[in-house]
Amino acid sequence: MGSEIKGNKSNKKNIKPRNKRSKKKFEHWLLLIPTLIVFVFFFIIPLIFLGVSSFRTFDSVDGIGDTWTLSNYTRFLTDPYYLGVLWTTIKIGILTTVICLIISYPVAYVISQLTGNTRNYLTLIMISPLLISMVIRAYGWRIILNNNGVINNFLMEIGLIDAPLKLLYTEFSVIVGMVHVLFPYMVLSIIGSLERIDPSVTRAANSLGANQFRTFFNVTLPLSLPGIFAGSILVFSLTTSSFVTPAILGGSQVKVMAYLTYEHVQVLLNWPFGGAIGFILIIIISITLLLYSRALTKLNKGVTIQ
Amino acid sequence: MKRKLPKILLNIHVFLVLVFLLAPIVVIAASSFTQSDFIAFPPEGLSLKWYADILNHPEFIESFYLSVRVALGTALVATIIGTLASLAVVRYEFRGKEAIIQLTSSPLMMPTVVLGIALLQYYAWIGLAPSTTALIFGHIILAVPYVMRLVVASLAGFDRTIEKAAMNLGASPLRVFFQVTLPTIKSGIIAGGVFAFITSFDDLTVALFIVSTDVVTLPVRIFTYMEWQYDPLITSVSTMIIMITVVLMLIIEKILGVGKMLDPKKD
Repeated sequence: MGSEIKGNKSNKKNIKPRNKRSKKKFEHWLLLIPTLIVFVFFFIIPLIFLGVSSFRTFDSVDGIGDTWTLSNYTRFLTDPYYLGVLWTTIKIGILTTVICLIISYPVAYVISQLTGNTRNYLTLIMISPLLISMVIRAYGWRIILNNNGVINNFLMEIGLIDAPLKLLYTEFSVIVGMVHVLFPYMVLSIIGSLERIDPSVTRAANSLGANQFRTFFNVTLPLSLPGIFAGSILVFSLTTSSFVTPAILGGSQVKVMAYLTYEHVQVLLNWPFGGAIGFILIIIISITLLLYSRALTKLNKGVTIQ
Repeated sequence: MKRKLPKILLNIHVFLVLVFLLAPIVVIAASSFTQSDFIAFPPEGLSLKWYADILNHPEFIESFYLSVRVALGTALVATIIGTLASLAVVRYEFRGKEAIIQLTSSPLMMPTVVLGIALLQYYAWIGLAPSTTALIFGHIILAVPYVMRLVVASLAGFDRTIEKAAMNLGASPLRVFFQVTLPTIKSGIIAGGVFAFITSFDDLTVALFIVSTDVVTLPVRIFTYMEWQYDPLITSVSTMIIMITVVLMLIIEKILGVGKMLDPKKD
């Protein structure tokens, strides 16, 4: 017994400094606990519940059944209608990204050349729509694109068209709204990468005889590729997952994945199928992001070699 | 002259983009002053009757108060827990740190619809009725990533020798935190709180799944009204919200300065 106590004592001695260390190790967990609790209970567990239910059967009388099934996923992947919705979503995502890039690059370039207050105020105006509710902005586009809206009225008044063009509830209107919402993200991301370019590099190119165009296309543009890619990833994934703008400007006539999910959950009350669509959306976004970031690392290497 | 042409083209482009960005906002604000019973741009006549009409729709005013309450609750909680988590992430090296950063930023990339259904189902399961609190927790998830980004950015440029100096001079850790650390990263925290407020105030998707007859936030109210009606009432309500947003931004500008507000978001 005596030896046991001794053993315990020596054990304690061994543990003591460890305890102190683990106390220090514990400090950061104390800081993290509140956030982790909230995320576990209102993010992780709900998502697990949703994941589980997406593998459950459903019928409109009994609701969610208690047998396992893959049918929610196979139903989506074998039905041309749902695959069409998926394709619309991806197409709108790609077009929005490309258009955002084309219109925001020159703006980012101009802003990055400015200094002081002009620059601050221009940046502020460029990103200010970001702070105004998406619902309100989409509503504004409705007023502009409607059959008796600003554009159609104007075109009819100058006699260019006789009957109003159908602009609202088309892929066009959804893309216009999405570009409007996501433009600030692209602009900020490109400004960031343009700023990181050492001005002495462009000066060097100029003094070696390159004109402005050549300097831009051979030096500035390649060096800003990381910003272009980062912005594109952000815009593409935010477009494909967005709900508000497509719902208001496209509705059930231009259905995207997020709207399809909403419809199945809130209108048809088929939670398992809605959950499955949601997870398919997450998977598609993750795969795209992965492919994109691979391309980015490859491209980055190319840029550094240059 | 030859050299100036690209510059002129660039400036025209910037101008057109500005028009594009401001167009829907200008159109809403202008048509809210119309006398007509339908939405007209340019407005027909000038009147404030659609602003007066808001008073005939107390449900909009109720929803506004609810949205403000939810957004304040979200901003308060998200800012506190997000700031604490940021301190942990920036100041300590530990296992699983990457995973925690990933976890806390994943709501940014997650389709909000998915979070909406997940919460709807989860709340139904655990028997939590749609309520302000239920909604606030959903919004905290959406807001914490913004808070953490902004606070982490302001912590990154923080010179820790000031803290050490304070401690050497005999200040307790808590005192150092409240009198040295907190004032220095104040702007990041305020910016985080403002973003949390706006995220919550603007959210339609999550709220759409958690609404009940008692819990209808302003975006949801506008969204459902729009589905059935198309009259200038929404333009006057929207213009009020835009004006509040502008005032908020001016206040922030006075406190923080534009540059500081923007810097952390650049990445």
